[in-house]
Amino acid sequence: MKEKEKAEVEAYFPDLHFVVENDVVYVRGSFALMFEGRVLDRYSVELQLARNHPAGLPVVRETGGRIPRHLDRHILSNRTACVLIPDERWRLWPVGTSLLKYLTGPLHSFFLAQATVEEGRPWPFGQWAHGAKGTFQFYRELLNTSDLRMMTAYLDYLAAKKVKGHWPCPCRNGKKLRDCHVNQIKELRKNISRKDAERSLAILKVAGESAIEMTEANAPQ
Amino acid sequence: MTADEYLKDVLASQAMGDDSEQVKALQKHRADVEKLIRDTFEDTALTIRYAGSKAKGTMNKESYDLDIISYVSSDDNTAGETLEDIYNNHKSALAKKYYVEPKGSALRLKGCDAENLGVDFHIDVVPGRFTDETQTDAYLYQSGGDKKRLKTNLDVHLDHVRDSGVIDAIRLAKLWKVRNALPLRTFVLELAVIKLLENKKNKSLSTQMEHFWTELRDNSANLTVEDPANPNGNDLSKCLDDNLKSQLAAAAKRTLDQIDSSGWEAVYGKTEKQEKAARVEILRRAATVATPSRPWLPEE
Ligand SMILES: [Zn+2]
Ligand SMILES: [Zn+2]
Repeated sequence: MKEKEKAEVEAYFPDLHFVVENDVVYVRGSFALMFEGRVLDRYSVELQLARNHPAGLPVVRETGGRIPRHLDRHILSNRTACVLIPDERWRLWPVGTSLLKYLTGPLHSFFLAQATVEEGRPWPFGQWAHGAKGTFQFYRELLNTSDLRMMTAYLDYLAAKKVKGHWPCPCRNGKKLRDCHVNQIKELRKNISRKDAERSLAILKVAGESAIEMTEANAPQ
Repeated sequence: MTADEYLKDVLASQAMGDDSEQVKALQKHRADVEKLIRDTFEDTALTIRYAGSKAKGTMNKESYDLDIISYVSSDDNTAGETLEDIYNNHKSALAKKYYVEPKGSALRLKGCDAENLGVDFHIDVVPGRFTDETQTDAYLYQSGGDKKRLKTNLDVHLDHVRDSGVIDAIRLAKLWKVRNALPLRTFVLELAVIKLLENKKNKSLSTQMEHFWTELRDNSANLTVEDPANPNGNDLSKCLDDNLKSQLAAAAKRTLDQIDSSGWEAVYGKTEKQEKAARVEILRRAATVATPSRPWLPEE
């Protein structure tokens, strides 16, 4: 844990405190939802930083019990909050950016959305469906395809240790990768970690077509 | 939103539903008080009822008292020979659980245990004795008054307000009294509203309120009120003296000026509905500059 990162967070959020227990760093306290220099609201939180922080994502818990522990509110029964889909992390909190950026970025948005939903309004930024359906929605948007076989072909390449130019392109038009979507694959591999791609690939394979049909039925966000 | 819609929202935000926390707490208090009195006067024929704003339907959430009457039958001496005895015996009975403060004809209850020491529960118990077996008129003891005995009639008071046709205006006037810290008895204020709006029952609420304040501002010197249950025997002029009248006139002028310059909101503030709308709007604005991040859940 870098002292600088801690000082930066504590300067911005004076009600959040760093605690180390059994070599695990926790950030606990009152999370202020700030807008235009004033506090709109507060949530009691605990962030458990990943052992490989900042490479790994923090585990977030809403400790006040204010948000119903309900899947529809993206809170698991153990109070863990599902702040984001890890595959989208590069867009929301790229590897190498500070913990403060996580707090003022996706975590701020998460609790802002919770406060909005509490007022009976829809999710301001939308929400991903749970499990495989949400994963499918994310890759459908990212790759602009609803073809599950194409999607898993892409994910195979994102999960692979290496990709070779003479391999067939995942867009399945018969060309070699180097003559087709090679730049797109390079870009995606830079953004999405192999671990996240592997997990999403497994989720989609287990779910199969059925999850996707249900996703189609439940209009996407 | 029109002035009348706004005033209706103000009233709605001050309403206390039958299953609200506040009303449940009041019912609990009443049950406690009633049990304490009945247990003490086991052999007495007692009539214990809600009086005041709870019975009249004029309660506002922001400020309310619980008024309870405890009347002894006319021929019953078991709770005390004289009115003063009945009053003092009630005081002793209530003192088993409360700190009791005599307040005119009423006994005001405050907390006396460690947890609630000195906390004003805003409960007034009014002991009395029915004048005859019809159980309508009653005599009250007046601590500290010139006359020790006051004749009154709860049902006449309740009907006077309930049948006034201006309940909403009464509730708004009570809120106005509280917000302006006017040292006016609620009972007297109610009588004043009813009297001044006698010919305005069919007007809109905003028209009624403007009329009420205009009358106070311009004609308060001539304002008198009578106790409907005892017009000759209960002189209320002391409750509405010149000093108070000029305070009312000044507050009414201030209020009318506020409406003129800044609108009705300046009088009663934003309603819950408006607060909520403002909050939703600020959350919406905050979202426009936030990272568009969508929550997910790893499992179904
Ligand atoms: Zn969810
Ligand atoms: Zn291709």
